[in-house]
Amino acid sequence: MSMHWYVARRVAWAVVATYLILTITFGLLAVAPGDGQTAFAFQAATEGGDVDEARETFDEITGRDEPLLTRYSNYMVNMATFNWGWSFTRNQPVMDAIAAAYPYSLMYAVPATLISIVFGYAIGLYSATHQYTLTDYVGTFTAFFGISIPNFWFGIMLILVFAVDLGWLPSYYQTGRGVWTLANAKQLILPVVVLSTGAIAGNMRYSRAEALEYVHADFVKTARAKGANDWRVLVRHIFRPAMVPLMTILVADILGLLFAGAYITEVVFQIPGLGLLSYRAIIQQDTALVMATTLVPVFIAIVGNLVQDIAYTVLDPRIDYGDR
Amino acid sequence: MTDPLLSVRNLHVQFNTDEGVVRAVDGVSFDVKRGETVCVVGESGSGKTVACESITRLLPMPPGEIADGEILFDGEDLTDASEKRLESIRGGRIAHVFQNPQSALNPVYPVGAQIVEAIRLHRDVSKQAARDRAIDLLDRVGIPEATARIDDYPHEFSGGMKQRVVIAMALSADPDLLIADEPTTALDVTIQAQILRLLHDLQDEFDMSIVFVTHDLGVVAEIADRVVVMYAGKVMETGSVYDVFDRPSHPYTQALLDCLPGQGESMRPIGGTLPDPKRPPAGCRFHPRCPHATADCRAGDHPEPLTVDAGHEAACVYYGPGYDSSVIRGGSASESRVADGGAAVADPDDGHDSSGGDAR
Repeated sequence: MSMHWYVARRVAWAVVATYLILTITFGLLAVAPGDGQTAFAFQAATEGGDVDEARETFDEITGRDEPLLTRYSNYMVNMATFNWGWSFTRNQPVMDAIAAAYPYSLMYAVPATLISIVFGYAIGLYSATHQYTLTDYVGTFTAFFGISIPNFWFGIMLILVFAVDLGWLPSYYQTGRGVWTLANAKQLILPVVVLSTGAIAGNMRYSRAEALEYVHADFVKTARAKGANDWRVLVRHIFRPAMVPLMTILVADILGLLFAGAYITEVVFQIPGLGLLSYRAIIQQDTALVMATTLVPVFIAIVGNLVQDIAYTVLDPRIDYGDR
Repeated sequence: MTDPLLSVRNLHVQFNTDEGVVRAVDGVSFDVKRGETVCVVGESGSGKTVACESITRLLPMPPGEIADGEILFDGEDLTDASEKRLESIRGGRIAHVFQNPQSALNPVYPVGAQIVEAIRLHRDVSKQAARDRAIDLLDRVGIPEATARIDDYPHEFSGGMKQRVVIAMALSADPDLLIADEPTTALDVTIQAQILRLLHDLQDEFDMSIVFVTHDLGVVAEIADRVVVMYAGKVMETGSVYDVFDRPSHPYTQALLDCLPGQGESMRPIGGTLPDPKRPPAGCRFHPRCPHATADCRAGDHPEPLTVDAGHEAACVYYGPGYDSSVIRGGSASESRVADGGAAVADPDDGHDSSGGDAR
């Protein structure tokens, strides 16, 4: 069977998985008690509106009183057309809220990811080729330090030292400074440092472990016997085969960096990205927004798995896609 | 005759470990002439692989270290050559073939790409020219339909075919010396014979010398011009293949030959084990297992290589003054091995330590 057929089947499976997840989400929402109506009515009341009217308005907007099957088909159509609902706390469509928040997440997540991959892999490979030397021990120690410290604590400590005591960097994120300005870069330094330390450490440990499997491999000796220099041996004969298992971790890492660690970091540094948006939506019971901000990472995970599987077939010629 | 292509002089290679210094190769000397096949034989752990991987410094250093000696290759001392210089010699003038073809090729690249890499590391040729040469080489080492198979990955080849690919890769830059470290040990016997024949044919065609490391005396008899017998980091005996097989002159070589099934009346294993490389015995390294050991064998240094015949040396006190080498060599080789060895073991009063190896 050809690789194209394999990829086509994987894509089809990704679509099925997405459909199942959406259905489950719908089912959970249909049986959940607090669906936002109360919160909506409460907000109307605090603003001096009529509570019963607000309830009706809410039912009308969300189509709550329709039969379940109609609601289900409406929901699916809305999902497919990216009409993901109305955020009543922000008075805008959910999609607009996400689109507005996303650039702020990317602003620190992209540099943090790049830094953690480059530095993590570089240190890991160096440690593997210099196993049990002083530099290896220093790298390993640093990695364990990076993994061990929790991000929220590290973030607060950095704010205390560099923002409060030294006053070199701002203590929280301010919008409206322009993306490519020095001021924006300065306020992104601390979040990037917080996010990348843990990720560098993780990447370093994984790449060291994977590369160690190949440092003493026979084919590495063959490559040296051919007259390849150290750099060539490292990149082509150690790192390239190690890329296969590292790919899994790499994709998971990027996803995790974008949507898990970022939560805490955004709250600590008050960055108005996806994490903070989701956090506020949960606090304020903005159901549509909570659902959207949770589904986005779910979809990215599905796409990520798909990318992983395709990457395997490209990277490892031994994978046989006939049986799966 | 001209100078030998490779001359290993008094080579000492040691590993500095936490538990102590391991002298894996402890004063080894041998020569390899142009066009000649030299077999280095010995038990596992005798230092033969370490010695051969030290020649181009393939051995990881540290922990390994060339403590003393010189390695003259075509007149150049490789022990103080720079890493850069060694890179151009490795694969270019001295090529290697290793024991396990299953893991000797990088699993993520097609075999052709790996041969092309070897060619282009040493020759400034275009990718296409290198590819054409790779196809020629694969064809030469007996890969059927080389043009179709050049883009196949290693896992699509059998063990014997992989070893042919490795050999093609080793030949890619017309080396002067091929160091083959047990290249047939991992293969089954029929494939072994094919690979040995292939190496033999290629040797004439490419006009190269071969250092062949093995513990298989059957293979030695098949291909060797000369034999270097190693034991516990020392050379015990060197000589032509006829000298060593027909007139084995060191008790260790004799014991090794007695291990071969179908030689003489019965097959006899060597009693005892290889000495601890961190604390080798004083005197001759082999004395605890030697049926002929005397007081001289147990003290002082390992004996110097002494001449037995022209071009045939053995590191054994029996070839020195005051000893009668016929005790070891006897009259006719095969008879004497059985007769003398048996007598020595049977008679404990003649000054020989017959039970040394077993009694430890």
